[in-house]
Amino acid sequence: MWRALVAVSALELRTRLRDGTALVIALLVPVTLATLFSLALGGDDPPLRATVGFVDLDGGEFPAGVRREVLASEELKGSVTLRDLPSREEAARALDADEIGSAIVFPAGFSRNVGDGRGGDVAVLTSPRSPLAGVVARAIVDRISALVDARTLAVRAVLLAGVPGDEVKELVERNGAAGPALTLSDDPLSGGKVDLAVYYGSGMAALFAFFVVGASFRGLLTERKLGTLDRMRAGPLAPWVPFAGKAAVGFTLALVSVCVTWAASVLVSGATWGDPLAVFAVLLAHVLAATAITMLVAGRVRTDAQADGVIMVISFVMAFLGGSLVPMHNLPEVLQGVALLTPNGWTSTALTELAGSGAGLAAVAGPIAVLCAIALVAGGLAVIGLKKGMLL
Amino acid sequence: MTPPSISPPAITETAITGPAIAALACEGLSKRYGELVAVEDVGFAIAPGQAYGLLGPNGAGKTTTISMLVGLLRPDAGTVTVGGVDLAEDPMRAKAGIGYVPQEIALYPELTGRENLRFFGRLFGLPRREVAGRIEEVLDLVGLTGRADSRLSTYSGGMRRRINIGAALLHRPQVLILDEPTVGVDPQSRKAILDGVERLVEEGMALLYTSHYMEEVERVCDRVAIIDHGRIIADGTRQELISLVGSADKVELSLDGDVDTALAKLRVVEGVIEAARTGATSIRLITEGGRYLLPSLITAVDGCATVTATQVVEPDLEATFLHLTGSTLRD
Repeated sequence: MWRALVAVSALELRTRLRDGTALVIALLVPVTLATLFSLALGGDDPPLRATVGFVDLDGGEFPAGVRREVLASEELKGSVTLRDLPSREEAARALDADEIGSAIVFPAGFSRNVGDGRGGDVAVLTSPRSPLAGVVARAIVDRISALVDARTLAVRAVLLAGVPGDEVKELVERNGAAGPALTLSDDPLSGGKVDLAVYYGSGMAALFAFFVVGASFRGLLTERKLGTLDRMRAGPLAPWVPFAGKAAVGFTLALVSVCVTWAASVLVSGATWGDPLAVFAVLLAHVLAATAITMLVAGRVRTDAQADGVIMVISFVMAFLGGSLVPMHNLPEVLQGVALLTPNGWTSTALTELAGSGAGLAAVAGPIAVLCAIALVAGGLAVIGLKKGMLL
Repeated sequence: MTPPSISPPAITETAITGPAIAALACEGLSKRYGELVAVEDVGFAIAPGQAYGLLGPNGAGKTTTISMLVGLLRPDAGTVTVGGVDLAEDPMRAKAGIGYVPQEIALYPELTGRENLRFFGRLFGLPRREVAGRIEEVLDLVGLTGRADSRLSTYSGGMRRRINIGAALLHRPQVLILDEPTVGVDPQSRKAILDGVERLVEEGMALLYTSHYMEEVERVCDRVAIIDHGRIIADGTRQELISLVGSADKVELSLDGDVDTALAKLRVVEGVIEAARTGATSIRLITEGGRYLLPSLITAVDGCATVTATQVVEPDLEATFLHLTGSTLRD
């Protein structure tokens, strides 16, 4: 039976390559659009404003220095606003309510611990709905980390040299590590621009995955019109073979399409989508869901016009609602909820998380599981529908 | 016109339970679409080496029946067996015995004839080392060896019909199902197709043949079923079917004038069994002793039409068909 499957897939692939649609829809258009979006949105003026929550449970010199630097930064003026919040819980609540885009939390005793050479951890809370604020917060904390590391190292060195504990602080400050001389990088918003390039690059990849898969299922309609589908179904082969053969080619081409768009985005804008394994897993799950949804809907059409219309509507509705065309945080609150009913919404959430936080596969296990569940449900319904119509 | 109430002849014992297993048999096949009865209680059997014709006007249920025979439609009731294998229970094995030639050219126009055959050969499970040899055999059988490497889109209508049949022969089926195989082909190609089909039957292949062309069915098939309104209303050899209309003759009349009124008057003439309008100025009658009835027929239409030409034809399969269904094949 596998030989029959390979025969159907090989013919489908040959047909798609011969008529040129595979190259145009799977590669040329998504890469071009993703590049244009990156260039158009990667200008000098940051397109977004961000509010960063500031939780100072320490009350020491480090948080005070950070606040001073942020307020003094020319690059952040007019773009980033600090909002003081009383607790980490309150910061999380404000983040969920989209009142802030990210938050920096200094724990109690942070400055004292650093001063004593014990180091310390500053927490950053981010939201995939506000990638820019996340980038700013992380840029600040990266700088803090560098300072903390330097200060901790200096203190330990002095302690090892046998200096009494009560003289350490004075000695370190006298020798050039006097408090948190925080300096922000030249343009902390540059990361935000890259994030938007990732956002639109992944959006195009997610959108065109539907088109690419849809083109293969449209091929089924052509087979039906030619009579070759009935000829296959009347032959000694399992009824799922023609569908599986088309689906396999659509799935493979869509996977190639999203991966090429990803690669082009990285090469053109220098954007980093995050951990490659995790990005690939998200894209794979997205293509799987897109294949199942397209199979569910396209399996019911009877004419070319219906097929074109249905594929177009599905692709654009999923893309719009799922944040592939318009960033999710720019959508009304109701639509942000609706976005999570689409695979594009979960894909967008997962890829933003990966690009923004630098997290790995574990961080996006949830969205990947949801995408697989969507694929399972839509694929199951598609199979039931095809069996009912005796096409399987 | 209401078809005459004639019970279908019982399927012969030898056809169903004889020593040889039927290459294709169906029993009690029924299919409904809501209130519409598409096929009801259809049954017949085709032995190896037997050519069986299925005749019926458009909408009679031929295509629905064939769709159920090849597994494209699930019957509401009834069974289909291919070489003794139940199609519902073991569809893969049963379908391996069927060579289905659909009415349309169900092949890929952008591929060559050989590429089409190679694709279906692989699809239908021909072993890899046998594919090339079998393709040559089939190309030779359908007379297309010289054009095998041309794209199908460059083939003539007759060549496409032949390669369409060839694709169904690749996996050496026991029974070949041909649905209107000569529609739109020139006389030369039609002859080539019919010669090839007859050769296959002589070699032992069973054949189910549907066609609008009565003369093809009469030439190729040794047994014919007439299907109308979803039911088989007669089944038998050519002679058996013709005998159903007794000694009736076919009378063709060409008329000038009010043809509808003339048709109504002719129907009540003594000796006229059936009457049907076959064109704007023509009427076909099934009569007892047609030759002697001509004066009465001419007199009957006097006043509303004038008979301009007559033709009396001895009984044949078409007359039987008209008699049983009340319509011509092309209605």
